[in-house]
Amino acid sequence: MSQITRRDLIKIFGASAVATSGLLGASKEAYAKSSAHIVIVGGGIGGASFAKYMRLANADVKITMIEPHPQYTFCPGSNEILSGHETLENLTVNYNTLKSRFNVDVIQDVATEINYEGHQVNTLHNGKISYDKLVVSPGPDFDFHFVDGYSAELAEGDFPHAWKAGPQTAKLKQQIDSMPQGGVLLISSPRMPYRCPPAPYERASFVANMLKETNPTAKILILDSKDNYVFQNHFEHYWKQNHQFGQEGSRIEWIPAKKGGVVTKLDATNKIVTTTSGEQIKADVINIIPEEKAGRFAIENGLALGSNWVPYEPKTFASKVHPDVYVIGDMVDAPMPKTGYVASNQAKVVAAAINDLLAGREPGTPFITNNCVAMAAEDYGMTITATFRYTGGIKDKGFSTQVRTSAITDNPYTNRIRAEVAKNWQRTFRKDMFS
Amino acid sequence: MKRTLFLALLSAGLLSLNAQAVAAEGGAKLTDAQIKAIIDAQPMPTGKMLADNCSACHGTLGAEFNEAMPPLAGMKKENFIKLMKDYRANAFPTIVMHDVAYVFTDAEIEAMADYFAAQKAEEWTRPDFKGAHE
Repeated sequence: MSQITRRDLIKIFGASAVATSGLLGASKEAYAKSSAHIVIVGGGIGGASFAKYMRLANADVKITMIEPHPQYTFCPGSNEILSGHETLENLTVNYNTLKSRFNVDVIQDVATEINYEGHQVNTLHNGKISYDKLVVSPGPDFDFHFVDGYSAELAEGDFPHAWKAGPQTAKLKQQIDSMPQGGVLLISSPRMPYRCPPAPYERASFVANMLKETNPTAKILILDSKDNYVFQNHFEHYWKQNHQFGQEGSRIEWIPAKKGGVVTKLDATNKIVTTTSGEQIKADVINIIPEEKAGRFAIENGLALGSNWVPYEPKTFASKVHPDVYVIGDMVDAPMPKTGYVASNQAKVVAAAINDLLAGREPGTPFITNNCVAMAAEDYGMTITATFRYTGGIKDKGFSTQVRTSAITDNPYTNRIRAEVAKNWQRTFRKDMFS
Repeated sequence: MKRTLFLALLSAGLLSLNAQAVAAEGGAKLTDAQIKAIIDAQPMPTGKMLADNCSACHGTLGAEFNEAMPPLAGMKKENFIKLMKDYRANAFPTIVMHDVAYVFTDAEIEAMADYFAAQKAEEWTRPDFKGAHE
């Protein structure tokens, strides 16, 4: 490398001098000529993983991340906030390490529009930002229209979905904590696909374990828009052992779609939901987890090609709209569950592909796993191992699936160690992208 | 004709039921022959592509030294290969590694072994990190 990189400038002048002097007066465009400029929309799990792994692969590219928030709160682990085993603070990270150690220019702003031909992305406050490669990872948006009477406003108010860790999580905890003795928490679980498939049941478990101590006659009613769900055998096994599941007086009741579990209407004033079977159910706390679709930025920029999820080229996760735009995370229409684990591994595939393309190499074969964990309690974990191999096919959206889930056991040590694996995973996973 | 339609509807119904169950578990079950055909049809993923999937549990570059899950960075190649093959064969009880390792071929295990053997056996993030050209 004969050119002076930004990193070299930092060595010579110090980071603050480079940041404030605008590279010794050079424009952003001038800088872009010396090395490729990669812009990321979204600083969640997908965007942050991409930024770090891109830098691990390539010291010279310029990386800019556009993210509206100054910090990020992880969803994995956030159900444990409801039972008091976790805090929002502990799940919240900032972008300092990505900025300082990985030399990522994090711009706190909202990306609005992609100019595909001009290779520019527009922002609310920083104008147009030119890119050589654009990585779009805005996550999903919530789709409230499946439940008549539910809305984003109600979710911010007295009916938090808490499906994005943050103030709504704290609000839901406060509502559950102040339920009257013998009160009812109603959880409406959505159809597939949605972020973290086992999480509604994990949520029910953690809350039930707490209520057993604090409010033992309270009930949790899960109204499901599906007829089955991942880890169902594990959750039911745990609930039978700890909450009389399936018996008279069970603390948790689960109503599948085929028995009228689909919620169609919310009467917010009277705290009543209506189901497909026409039944009206009143509850003290109503937690409707909404359906999801690709984030607004992706939809408005045509990346979903008119559907709710974003199609992609399986080998590189390049968009179908433009080859220099890449799409990752929950919004992608991949045959994979919508988990942070998958988003981070898709991000690594894109980092490797872009690095290959910049060097004039053909991108390699992608390989993605979802070796994920869930918990029913602090001493009961469960594991799923899913491997997605690239097939080059079209019908299967480019990937095959091999999957196993942990076996049921009554060995308390095994169940406990699985939970410890889950907690280890949460910590290491956060560090894998933010340290 | 009617019978065909009935069968078609019946199988469509079964398919959608099956599809829902499959969606919950993440995909349809493939035979060993199908998996082998998929693996053989593409160039092997690089050791880095395979091994970077381990980072969520074992840390960036396999270099997480502070958790119960062991670090992989700096592991001797032959130890990694022997362990992974034992996991794959379910040679002894494990919490999850037998369910992780069963998908990998010999060549893939060797590629990952080379990758981890080449990493510094030091806790990530190393303060001296300077990017890929260090």
